[in-house]
Amino acid sequence: MDILATKRVHMLARLAFLWAALIAGRLIQLQVIQHGEYKKLATRQQERVIEVRAPRGMILDRHGERLAMSLPVESVCVDPLRVPDLGVAAGILSQILGLDSAELLGQLKSAVDNRRGFLWIKRKVTPQEAARLRDLKLEWIEFRTESQRFYPNRSLAAHLLGGVDFEENGNAGIEQSFNEQLQGHPGELVLTEDVQKRGFKSTMETEPQPGQDIHLTIDSSIQFIAEKELKEMVQQQHAKSGSVVAMDPRNGDIVAYANYPTYDPNDPPKGQDVSAREDLAIAAPFEPGSVFKVITLSAALETTHLRPETMINCGGGKITLFGRTIHDDHRYGILSMEDVLARSSNIGAINIGLTVGQDKMYEYVRRFGFGSKTGVPLPGESAGMVRPLKHWQKTSIASVAMGHEIGVTAMQLAQAAAIVASGGLRIKPRLILDAPAAEPVRVLRPETAITMRRMMEGVMIKPYGTGHRYARLIGYTSGGKTGTAMIYDYQTRHYTHFYNASFVGFAPIANPAIVVAVTINHTEGKTGYGAPASGPVFREVASSALRIKDVPKDLPEMLPSPDDGQADDNDVAIADLGSSIPPPLVQAGNAAAADDRPVASAKDAPDQRSFLENPGSGDAAGRVPNFQGKSVRDVIQQSAALGIPVEFTGSGIARAQIPAPGDVLPSGHAVRVEFGR
Amino acid sequence: MATLAAIFDRFTSPRTIEQPAPRTRFLEPEDPFAVPAFPNEDVYFYAKRIANSNVLRVADPAARKTCWRMIGYSFVLAMLVISLLLPTLYGLMAGYRMEALRQEKARLDLDRAALELQETKLETPARLEELARMQRFVDPAPESVVYLDTKSDRILAKK
Repeated sequence: MDILATKRVHMLARLAFLWAALIAGRLIQLQVIQHGEYKKLATRQQERVIEVRAPRGMILDRHGERLAMSLPVESVCVDPLRVPDLGVAAGILSQILGLDSAELLGQLKSAVDNRRGFLWIKRKVTPQEAARLRDLKLEWIEFRTESQRFYPNRSLAAHLLGGVDFEENGNAGIEQSFNEQLQGHPGELVLTEDVQKRGFKSTMETEPQPGQDIHLTIDSSIQFIAEKELKEMVQQQHAKSGSVVAMDPRNGDIVAYANYPTYDPNDPPKGQDVSAREDLAIAAPFEPGSVFKVITLSAALETTHLRPETMINCGGGKITLFGRTIHDDHRYGILSMEDVLARSSNIGAINIGLTVGQDKMYEYVRRFGFGSKTGVPLPGESAGMVRPLKHWQKTSIASVAMGHEIGVTAMQLAQAAAIVASGGLRIKPRLILDAPAAEPVRVLRPETAITMRRMMEGVMIKPYGTGHRYARLIGYTSGGKTGTAMIYDYQTRHYTHFYNASFVGFAPIANPAIVVAVTINHTEGKTGYGAPASGPVFREVASSALRIKDVPKDLPEMLPSPDDGQADDNDVAIADLGSSIPPPLVQAGNAAAADDRPVASAKDAPDQRSFLENPGSGDAAGRVPNFQGKSVRDVIQQSAALGIPVEFTGSGIARAQIPAPGDVLPSGHAVRVEFGR
Repeated sequence: MATLAAIFDRFTSPRTIEQPAPRTRFLEPEDPFAVPAFPNEDVYFYAKRIANSNVLRVADPAARKTCWRMIGYSFVLAMLVISLLLPTLYGLMAGYRMEALRQEKARLDLDRAALELQETKLETPARLEELARMQRFVDPAPESVVYLDTKSDRILAKK
């Protein structure tokens, strides 16, 4: 090889080395020295963090029907610092999104002045608006996916479901109580894109956690019927409001929960008038009136010698207690205890309450759950208003016995009726289907509960029963109690002639499958009494519920008989209490809870021994007198004087009696006397 | 000789080496109208005349072997590279496909949610009642329901 060739090779080698060195140096600069900076740039250019939606859980009824669900919607935002011309941007956006151009321009300018790099233009836009904006292909318009809550059944179970705010946080009802479970937690996905912004690789940085679905115990069909009937009745009565609670007494499941007035949670009322959003069934206590006689009579059966057939002196519709005279619209003389309930005699209930006594009465009021929250998972539940025993006045027992001086909620009434229907067990109302059932508490002996069921059936089946005309079911046996409580006016300090019309009932009698409590607030006139106002709502809701629940009928389907119009609907709990009594509900509900302990005795309680001291015995030996040949009036007077319960059939002169004169009347039995002309 | 090496030498050879006289002088036009010579015409238009008709190719079995070995090595190397790169390539293509499917799934989820909402709205009790009213459906009156008695005869309905 000549010298020239060698030089050439060396020269080439040097050039190649230099070239390689330059490349290596540049590579080191790019990939080692400036690694972090270029990695950031590459990441910003190639990778995009995408929020993976975690939808809020659905709320479903007991059959899986959707009551509340969330759908993704788009919101529009901009980086004001990247907007080339604020005026043009405001014009475009306001035109498409239906916004005020000047206001939007002001917001954009303010954001630029404050160096803010983010501004919501309009949240939760319609798909059409989003599509029109996308078509503009303006890079400074950004879209964010958000979630929106929909209530497809509109106002159905509105108070129960509640609602959510703009950030989808529950602000009422189940939405609020179970916000943690319903709310999902969005995940994050890192998407690597090519130069054409096509993703080719994604990594889930954070897994999304969708919200849990909640199954309610509500049956949307029964709920719909309850709301429809309630609305019709409130409007028909020109009343202010109303509530219906329907409950399965076997497990405490609330199958319908309705309030009126109501609202559409998709577009809740705003501003000052939000009264439609009040959850009256749990948050608005009221004086129950005669429906409370169920508690009075239950306490009497449990704690005294009174039996359904025990004759009660109804005083001709008047009684004087500690200088206070109470008049009753009913002018009954002597009635059996079951007729006191069927005819809703106030004086009879007062006398029974006096026999029970304040201590026991208070104890049973609390055992039935009044003065305590029922524990349904809804915000704002009231415990009702039950005065502590030490604050009871001498005549309080008379008022409480017929459902005054006490405040209850519709939910508490349903729970109380369910105690009778379930055989004496207090079962916590349940709204969540998956929630474990609470341990029931025994309140009444089973035999007492069955006796009460039979007495409440009398309200429905006896021609003179207050529930016979309006509340009796067709095809099913049923029991119930009407209630009409005059509304107290705190300004004039008098009872008004507006009523709280109530009804509680259950069906069928043998094995109750449904309990319904109905209250209509601020009714007026005789048509606004408990029977004509709330009875029909009970009848429709209970009938529908039994049909939907496939409960077999236990009566032949009989059309209403002509004598159905003879029933006395008047069950007004206070006819004339005068103005001397204190306002009935001045005590806060939680005061009752503070005095939760059972009271052994009340020293300052008046002598409450009634004249019913020795029932069931005609003389010292308990033998039955001879009623034969006597008129009805004479038999009543003699039996009342002796305290012997008597059952009458026919009219005229007593022709026969069982047991025979001189026989011993077994305890708890009544003398059956047949009259004839 | 106008080879690459000759050009290279022009730049790298020492100046002391005597430069041969430019050949253009032989091509100087005698005719004043003749086209002047191009620069380095002798380099670009020089054609070396080689008479290799007498040259015989000598058989070289070792070179042939080397050649085949090179071909084999190249093939193996190519296969190796392809086998190494192919999964990455397939992964990339699968990535595109997966992302496209993910986006489609998200879109279908949206569609399904919207349809579910629509379906629920169609099944609301209020709408069903409205439909029943339009179809003139009514609840049967008391005593108008006749229960089927299939035991006594084959009559399925009465009235």
